[in-house]
Amino acid sequence: MAKTRSDQCEMDMTPMIDVVFQLIIFFVVTLKMTSDTNKDIILEDGKNGVIITEKNRPPSTLEIEVDKRGMITIHNARMNQDQLDTILRNRVNKLGNQFPILIRADFRTKHEEVKKVMDICTRRGIWKLSFVAIQEHKAKKK
Amino acid sequence: MAYKRRNNKGENPKLDMTPMIDVVFQLLIFFVVTLKQEDILSKLSAARPAPDPNAKPDQQPDPTTIIVCDQGFLFNGLPMRLDELDRQIARVSRSSKTAMVLVKCTMSSPHKFLVQALDTCNKHGLQNLSILTM
Repeated sequence: MAKTRSDQCEMDMTPMIDVVFQLIIFFVVTLKMTSDTNKDIILEDGKNGVIITEKNRPPSTLEIEVDKRGMITIHNARMNQDQLDTILRNRVNKLGNQFPILIRADFRTKHEEVKKVMDICTRRGIWKLSFVAIQEHKAKKK
Repeated sequence: MAYKRRNNKGENPKLDMTPMIDVVFQLLIFFVVTLKQEDILSKLSAARPAPDPNAKPDQQPDPTTIIVCDQGFLFNGLPMRLDELDRQIARVSRSSKTAMVLVKCTMSSPHKFLVQALDTCNKHGLQNLSILTM
């Protein structure tokens, strides 16, 4: 007969620790601590656009942000139009003019400000531009 | 001092797991709390014709034109709301999916109207979109 003494009754913790470690590894891997996008930009809804995934967003993609006052940033680095032009010129020299450009503009931005970015792109021979919109809201609203 | 001396020679030397589990749970709670979901983003593509004013942006005699102004949209010259624009674009797309649509924006129009216009065109499968500035 098996022992039933209470002081010998111990739970095997190994599977639980395994599961907990799996969860931790999952969260560590999926966690993005710092965001490289401008938090002030609120995008307009665009439910019918092409969903941006890792696959259709190659590493050569350049994401240009324009906030509601017309400030241009790339990866949170603020720049003026001349600097953007220099960046684009260098990129076109290196990669050609076929790399995708995403313009992430606030819904309140005046077209005038977006036009400045588009004009710089066209000056460097990039005719095809994409605007970023929200396909589905997931993030909690502030 | 009368505490019991531990017997380390026993056949079951056991590691105390409690602090480790505590730390692991702390970490788990930290990551659960700091995790935030991101919005799913979409992209709306359009071409930008050459800024040269003499260059003809298209060869079609009468392209569909959406004018995006401060207050809303004008479709072929008529002011309309987004739902009305949607119906008009649906009509255009029924006749031809490859029809060219010109989206002309005024300087002071908000970007959201441009996105809405492009989104409506995408909804009805129109891909040949061009943006012009007035």
